[in-house]
Amino acid sequence: MHDFRVLELEDALGGTARGGELPRSRHPLGAHYLPRPEPRFHALERLLEDLGVIIGRDPAGRAEYAPSTIVAASVERHQLDRIWYAGISPEHGATPAEQAEAERWYAHLRALDREGPDGRRQFTLPSWRASAALRELDAISMRDYLQRLGVTSWRLRWEIDYACRDDYGCTLEQTSAYAALHHFLARGYDEDRPRPLLAWPDGNAELTRRMAARLGYIAAAPVDPHARVRTRAAVVSIDPDRGALRAVLRGEDPEDPGELVELSARAILWAAPRFVLPYVLTARGRDPLAGHRGPAMSYSPWLVASVELLDRPGGIGSPLAWDNVPVQRDNLGYVVATHGEDRSDTRPGAVVTYYEPLTAETPAVATRRAELLAGDLSRWSDHVVRQLAAMHPGIERQVTRVSVTRWGHAMIRPVPGLLFGDALARARAPIGVVRPCATDVTGLALFEQAFYSGVEAAEEALARLGRGAASMIP
Amino acid sequence: MPAPTKSDHARARLLLFSVLIVATCGLIYELITATMASYLLGDSVTQFSLVIGVYLSAMGLGSWLSKYVTRRLHDRFIDVQLVIAVVGGCSAAAMFFGYGHLSSVRPLLFSILVVVGTMVGLEIPLLMRIMKDGQQLKDLVARVLAFDYIGSLLASLLFPLLLLPYLGLVRASFLFGTLNAGVALACARVFQGQLARPRLLLARALLVFVALASLLILGDRLERFAENDLYEDPVLISQKSAYQRLTITRFGEDMRLYINGNLQFSSVDEHRYHESLIHPAVADFGAPRRVLVLGGGDGLAARELLKHASIERVDLVDLDPAMTTLFREHTLLTPLSGGSLSDPRLTVHNADAMRWVEEHRARGGDPYDVIVIDLPDPNNLSLGKLYSRTFYRLVAGALAPGGTAVIQATSPYLAPRSYWCVVNTLEDAGLNPRPYHAHVPSFGDWGFVLASVDRRPPPRRVPEGVALRFLTDEVLASLFVFPADQERLDVEVNLLNNQILVHYYEEDFDAISPLRRRNG
Repeated sequence: MHDFRVLELEDALGGTARGGELPRSRHPLGAHYLPRPEPRFHALERLLEDLGVIIGRDPAGRAEYAPSTIVAASVERHQLDRIWYAGISPEHGATPAEQAEAERWYAHLRALDREGPDGRRQFTLPSWRASAALRELDAISMRDYLQRLGVTSWRLRWEIDYACRDDYGCTLEQTSAYAALHHFLARGYDEDRPRPLLAWPDGNAELTRRMAARLGYIAAAPVDPHARVRTRAAVVSIDPDRGALRAVLRGEDPEDPGELVELSARAILWAAPRFVLPYVLTARGRDPLAGHRGPAMSYSPWLVASVELLDRPGGIGSPLAWDNVPVQRDNLGYVVATHGEDRSDTRPGAVVTYYEPLTAETPAVATRRAELLAGDLSRWSDHVVRQLAAMHPGIERQVTRVSVTRWGHAMIRPVPGLLFGDALARARAPIGVVRPCATDVTGLALFEQAFYSGVEAAEEALARLGRGAASMIP
Repeated sequence: MPAPTKSDHARARLLLFSVLIVATCGLIYELITATMASYLLGDSVTQFSLVIGVYLSAMGLGSWLSKYVTRRLHDRFIDVQLVIAVVGGCSAAAMFFGYGHLSSVRPLLFSILVVVGTMVGLEIPLLMRIMKDGQQLKDLVARVLAFDYIGSLLASLLFPLLLLPYLGLVRASFLFGTLNAGVALACARVFQGQLARPRLLLARALLVFVALASLLILGDRLERFAENDLYEDPVLISQKSAYQRLTITRFGEDMRLYINGNLQFSSVDEHRYHESLIHPAVADFGAPRRVLVLGGGDGLAARELLKHASIERVDLVDLDPAMTTLFREHTLLTPLSGGSLSDPRLTVHNADAMRWVEEHRARGGDPYDVIVIDLPDPNNLSLGKLYSRTFYRLVAGALAPGGTAVIQATSPYLAPRSYWCVVNTLEDAGLNPRPYHAHVPSFGDWGFVLASVDRRPPPRRVPEGVALRFLTDEVLASLFVFPADQERLDVEVNLLNNQILVHYYEEDFDAISPLRRRNG
C-alpha cells in the first residue's frame, strides 16, 4: 500500500506523544512510556520490531528488546510523610488490618485475571475484544465498586485512585469500575515480576519519530506539497460520501495564509479527536453522535511541565527513580527524562517531567480546562516549581528552565457507562468513507488502544479497497 | 615602671604556655598535611618537601603581615587562634572529604597549608608584642623562641609515636584544633580587660571549642568512614577520572590497583585470577579468533588472551579512558599487562558495555567466539545493569555459534546469594551456565561462570603451548567442584527493572565486612 497521505494539523507529528528539548536533555510533552507488550500482542510486537525496539528473538522465540529502551531500576518510588520509599504502594506503617485488606485486594485481582465463559479474557487490549462477562462493571464507579468490596484502607484507595488519575486523568470516583480494573488486569496480572516498561528520553515521541521516518518524513526538510506525510495541514472539509477532502497547507511562516488543496480518497481514517469531526463534515447531520443521549465523551485536561535542574533530585530514603510519586497530592509527581543515560554520561543535572491531570466531575471539568488554558504560562510554571519544592525543599534554586505544556483535551475520560455504552459505538461507526479511529473513540487513552484502533481502521480500509487480509487484532 | 603583680606573672605564664601549645599545634598541622599529601598523592619525598617549603614560607608571610596589626593585639591574637583552630582542626577531615569529592585535592591541601602557615606565622610576633611590656628584649626572645622550639620537639615526638598510631589523622587534627580553641578560650578569660568586645570573643571561642571537642568525640566514627579511602601501602599513582578514582599502591613487589578505594588486583596473585578467568573459556571454545572483553581496562585479562596464537582480534570495551591510557602508557604498569593494550590485535573502545554491545548488534557487527565479562562487582544500580538478564541476552546474541562467555561473578563464599544470582540469571537468559571458582589470596574464594548457548561439560584440559603459573589440567578440573557448604542457592533472577542482585550484594557483604569488596 503506497497511495496514501498523512495530514497533520500541528507543526510536528505525534499528537500527545510529542517531545520537546531543553539544553540538558530531550523530554516528553505527554505520553512517555509503553508497557512491554505480552507476546500475544503480535501486531504490537511487529510494530516494535519494525521500529527497532525489538532487536531479535532468543532461541525460544521470545522478543529481545533493545536494553536502552527498558526502564532500569529504580523504576518507581513514592513519598510518604517526606520520606521516599521504593515502589508505588504506600505500605510503610500499614496496620495488620490494612495489610490483610491489601492481600484480599490482590487475591481479588488474581481471581479476575482469567477468561470469561465466552473464552475471551475478562480484561485485555484492545478493550473491545474482552469477554462480555464483566461489562456490567462499567456501569458503576470504582468508588462504588470498592465500597461493595469493603475496601476502606486509605492506602489501597490512594493507590487505585493514583492508577486512575495516571492512566485516565480521572479520580476513582469519576472512573468506571471496569476501566479501573482494566489498569491492573489488561496486560495480565503478575505481582511477582514487575512488568518492564519501555521508555525514551522524550517518551513516546521516539516511537512516532521512528514511524514517521519509515514513511520518509524528515522533520527539518523543506515543505513538499506532494509529501506523503504533511504537517501544518488543516483539513477544513470532508464530504464523507464522495471522499472529497479539502485542506489548507501552510508553510513554516506563521503569516502564510496557506494554499487550499483538494484530495480525493476512497477511505479516510479520522485519527484526530472525535469532537473535531462534526466541524469538518460537509453534512453534520450524518454524525451518528449528533442525536445521542447518555454519557457523552468528555476529556481530562492535563498540565505537563519539563524542568531542567542543575542537580539530580535526591530526598530522604529510597534513591531517585524513573517515576517519583508523592502520596496524597493532586499531582502525579515526575519522571526523569535523563534516567536512561548510561555510565559514560557524566554531565551533571537532570530534566524531570511533571504530570498533573486536572480532575473534576463531568460538567466542572470544562471549568478546569478553561482555567488551565486561560492562565498565564508563568503562573503554571510557578505552580509546577512549588509542587516540586513540596517534594524537594529548596529545589527551586536548582531550576534553570521550565517548559510547560497544557493539554485541554489530553485523555478521554472513562466515566461509568462510556466504555461499553452507545456513545463510543456511535463515535467509532463509519460515516461514509470516514472511519474515526483516534484513541478517544476507544474510551481509554492507552498506547495499545490507539494502536489497535488504528490497525482495525486500516484493515477495514484495506478491505474496502479489496485488499483485505487476516486481522492482526488478537 | 610599676612592679609586676602576681596576676601579671600568671598572665605571662599563660602566654608562654600558649607559645608552647601554638608551636606544637603548628608543627602538628604541618605533619598532618604532609602525611595526608603523601597518602593521597603519593611520592612522599616530594610531598613532604613541598609541604614544608610552602608552610614555612606562609609562616614568613604571616610574620611579615604582623607589622600591619597595630591595634587590639589581644583581640587579634585570639582571632588568629580561632582561625587556626577551625582550619587546622578540620584539615584532615576536609582533605579526606575533598579527596572523595573533588577532581583534585591539591588546591584544597595547599589552601589549608597557606592559611594555617600564615596564621601561625602571625602568632609568635603578636605574642612577643603582647609580652614585651616589663621584659627586656633579650629575655623575651630567649623565652619565646625556647618554648617555640620545645613545642616543635614535642610535636615531632608526639606525632609518630602517639598521635598517628593511637588517634589517627582525623582525630589528631581535631584534638589540636580543640587545644588551639582552648588557648583562645583561656586568653579570652584572662585578658578580658584588654579586649574590645570580651563577651563576643569569649562566646566565639567557646563555640569553636565545643564544636571541635564534639567532632573529636565523633572523630572515631569519621575516621572509620574515611578509612575506606586509605591504603595499606604507599601510593604510587592516584588519579580521579570522570568516572572513578584510580589508585595504584606499591609495597616491595606488590603493586595493587584500587578503584574508589576498592581492591581490583594485587600483582602478587593476580595471575591466579586472570588465568582462571581466561583460559577455561579459551579451552572451552577451542581456538578462538575473535574475542570481546567487557571491562578489564587494566589489560591483564587481555595479556592472558594474547598468549593464544589463534586470537586474531580482541575488542576491549572499558568505560574509562583514564584507566586504559594509564595501563597502556605508564612505564611501571606496562610490564604488568605485558603491553597488551598496545598489541596490534587489540582495539580499545571507551564506552558503556551495555550500550556498546547494543550498538554492535544494531550495526550488524561480527559475533565473537569468546566474550569475557570482567566488570567491577554489582555494588550499584548502574553496574547491576551489566549483570541483568537483558544484558546476558544481548551478550548471547553477540556470541558466534559454539561461542563461550565467561563472567567474573563475585565470591561464592563471601557473597553466595550474589554469585548464584548471576548463575541463575545467565540460565534464565537462555544460556547454560557452568559455575567455577578459584582461590585468589587477596580476594578469597572467587567465582566465575562459563556460559554457552549449547549444553556442554566443563573443559578438562588447559590449552597447550601457553605458559601458565596457576592452572594445570588437575587444577582446572578442580575449579568446577564446589564443596558441600557452597551448594547452589535458590535465589531470584536479576532483572533490569528490579536489580535484585544489587540488594543481594549489599546484604551479602554487609553481613561480613564492608571493607572486603572488589568493586568500582
